[in-house]
Amino acid sequence: MNGPFTKNTLSRRQALFGAAGIAALAVAGCSNSSGGKSGGDLSGNRDGAMAKYGVGDQFKATSPLTFSIMVLSNPGYPYDAKWAFWSELTKRTNVSFQPTVVPLSDYNQKRSVMVGAGDAPTIIPKTYHPAEEAYIASGAILPVSDYLDLMPNFKDKVAKWNLQGDLDQLREADGKYYLLPGLHQDVWADYSIAVRTDILQKLNIAVPQTWDDVHAMLRTMKAAYPNQYPLSDRWSSPGPGPGANRLMATLGDAYGTWAGWNYQHSWWDATAGKFVYTGAMDQYKQVLQYLNTLVSEKLMDPESLTQTDDQAKQKWANGQTFVISTNAQEVINTLRKDIAHIPGATVAKIPVPMGPMGATKTGFRTENGVMISAKARNSKNFVAMMQFIDWLWYSDAGELFAKWGIEGTTYTGSVDDGTFKLAPDVTWAGLNPSGTQNLQVKYGFFNGVFAYGGSTKLLDSQFPPEELAFQNVMNGRRTLPLPPPHPLSADQREQATLWETNLLDYVDQQSAKFILGQRPLSQWDQYVTELKGRNSDQYINLINQAYQSYKQKHG
Amino acid sequence: MVTISELRPGRKAPAPPAWVRIKPSRGYRVFQVVNAVILIGVVVATLYPFVNILAQSFSSESAIRQGSVNLIPHGFNLTTYKTVMKDSTFWTNYRNTVEYTVVATFISMVLTTCYAYVLSKHHLKGRSVLIGIAVFTMFFNGGLIPNYVLVSQLGLRNTLWAIVLPNAINVFNLLVMKAFFESLPGELEEAAAVDGLTTYGILWRIVLPLSKAVIATMILFYAVSFWNSWFSAFLYMDRSDLFPVTVYLRNLIAGATGAGGMNEGTSSDTSLQVAASIQAVTVVLTVIPILSIYPFIQKYFVSGVMLGAVKG
Repeated sequence: MNGPFTKNTLSRRQALFGAAGIAALAVAGCSNSSGGKSGGDLSGNRDGAMAKYGVGDQFKATSPLTFSIMVLSNPGYPYDAKWAFWSELTKRTNVSFQPTVVPLSDYNQKRSVMVGAGDAPTIIPKTYHPAEEAYIASGAILPVSDYLDLMPNFKDKVAKWNLQGDLDQLREADGKYYLLPGLHQDVWADYSIAVRTDILQKLNIAVPQTWDDVHAMLRTMKAAYPNQYPLSDRWSSPGPGPGANRLMATLGDAYGTWAGWNYQHSWWDATAGKFVYTGAMDQYKQVLQYLNTLVSEKLMDPESLTQTDDQAKQKWANGQTFVISTNAQEVINTLRKDIAHIPGATVAKIPVPMGPMGATKTGFRTENGVMISAKARNSKNFVAMMQFIDWLWYSDAGELFAKWGIEGTTYTGSVDDGTFKLAPDVTWAGLNPSGTQNLQVKYGFFNGVFAYGGSTKLLDSQFPPEELAFQNVMNGRRTLPLPPPHPLSADQREQATLWETNLLDYVDQQSAKFILGQRPLSQWDQYVTELKGRNSDQYINLINQAYQSYKQKHG
Repeated sequence: MVTISELRPGRKAPAPPAWVRIKPSRGYRVFQVVNAVILIGVVVATLYPFVNILAQSFSSESAIRQGSVNLIPHGFNLTTYKTVMKDSTFWTNYRNTVEYTVVATFISMVLTTCYAYVLSKHHLKGRSVLIGIAVFTMFFNGGLIPNYVLVSQLGLRNTLWAIVLPNAINVFNLLVMKAFFESLPGELEEAAAVDGLTTYGILWRIVLPLSKAVIATMILFYAVSFWNSWFSAFLYMDRSDLFPVTVYLRNLIAGATGAGGMNEGTSSDTSLQVAASIQAVTVVLTVIPILSIYPFIQKYFVSGVMLGAVKG
């Protein structure tokens, strides 16, 4: 079945890849890598492109164009060729898509196979950094940072919102990036903890502001309900993290370290001007200490670290627990519905409690984004395609269109002056619950493939008043700077991954033991030595080297 | 010479008269009790998830959330069934599954039977090479991407053949069938040849009528595996109207559990939770047809596999 035929085909493929790689190298050779000025001669690639296209212009191809694209089909709103999104997009831009529809369940796998086989569609959205790194070596993916001059809206937003530091996170050792990320004006704080507000009222507790307040709140709850754990948490999978990974991440932000879901092995120590190993930081220890106290005082269910989400939610639904990690959607879709059967029960997501870091927030302002197949560079429509991508994903008009649709049909008013409203019969998540037409299912707008990122005003337009209040508190907090870029070469990455895997297992395992009290925190120094035995020092040296050499080369 | 009816498998031996029966020993009775207990345990363990899903499919969403649904539906309702049955994608994909399963099973049966029959003839030159080629594919394959490139370059993508052809012959099934054919007495075919039947005539008129048991078993094996399969369809189909219902179902469940490996945690793409009751209904509707084949084929099932094994 897999005879010589396959072999032949493959070697031809490999030759193609090789050629693409050499071409990419050639392009790289004459680039100055400052971004956007090094795409080479584009005069043969301008078919269908607009001669004059700038910020605020409506993109419209001068002749009808078709681009192939991967489209993720979300089970909540499965792909539908009849969506108004497609027809309206063609009407506005003269562009239609030839989609490869991939179920969300296995999107990444199909993307890998198609890119690996050299058969991928031109536009490959919904890629999360660093997933694109796997495809760079083969030359299958376009270094998009070379072509930013074709994307005025992208450049405008990066400059206006001061996103250069965020983009630097995506850079590879060659100084380029291969993914066009979604851009947010501000860090979007979504996750916090949900609290049963009726219990707060009954016990006369104020909404906690800090993690110490949370501790006090849990104690008061425990005193009133001695047979229950007031906190039983969820999101113990997926990793990274020892369990209760979202709670860990939130605490990590408050203490100034990476923990749980956010865990990264290196933490940028700005005062020392170098990276340090996260799992050995004092701040990391404090996070463990905090959780350990909750467990030992029987305020937190020890099963929080191991149970499934369903188990945690069942405890919540049965009124056995009063506090759980959440995001905005979960409050509306799950937590509130879960306790609807308990008379008088109410729930709210409280502003993220603060820790030693004070009123700050940490996070990335870049999102998942778009990869472009390297072969697109040779298409005669290449310039038009870049302009189109720039319009749909990065212009104000394009972002508004992808998110809320057609003025007068799916929405009325304006996002900028706060008069935005969904049309009376249209519903989305918590907005307009009485509407009968779902914006995503029926019209195809607010599709995760196209709609993300944008201004804070655009983001705020999707929130019901309750969440808006949360956002207003969070918008008042200072965003911390991100670590400087420290991209690894392919070889370094391979070595680093080996160390990381080993270290992560150990950090997670020991963190769980410290939290659950199976290992006393007095053994912390011994634990740090054990980490060194697992090459944490070599790892950090590698990262610091990468940081230094990137700084020298690309300043 | 034996007659065809004597050879027919599944023929019950007459029950021995009462006086022949040996009184079961104490040890044997203990064994029977233990055996029964263990098997009942197995039955419960395998049936419970199914009954649970069945109960969930008739329950209200809030009852499922509280974890109060076990064997009996709570908050009985049929609205979820109505919702799922209104979804046109579901039915399109369902039709695809039926179509893929029927065509694939038919082609697999034709090819597997022919191949197995040829291999069962010891006088065939190059027989061991042919067996070797088949067995080789049990242990080695080209890998995901080469297979994809092959199917793609043959122009099979987005057609039924991408699902049917690469999986047409299952080597395990092939070997079982070969063993079965080998167990048939050669004299029978010689006699048929003397009476003037061609090779194809022998296969069609003598061998196949004697092989109903193994054929029924193989049809069941193939049909179940094609009905349940999702991977080739997911890989080779680029349009959602070509997906089988298994891909639809997998997406539905993965979407709810976040098993898709997407970083939902940091994404603004709100992962819409598909209600547990909708998942349950889809599972039930997907499982029922293939489940309802079993009672009709079961009688061949055991004897078919056993015959190949014991006599081979």
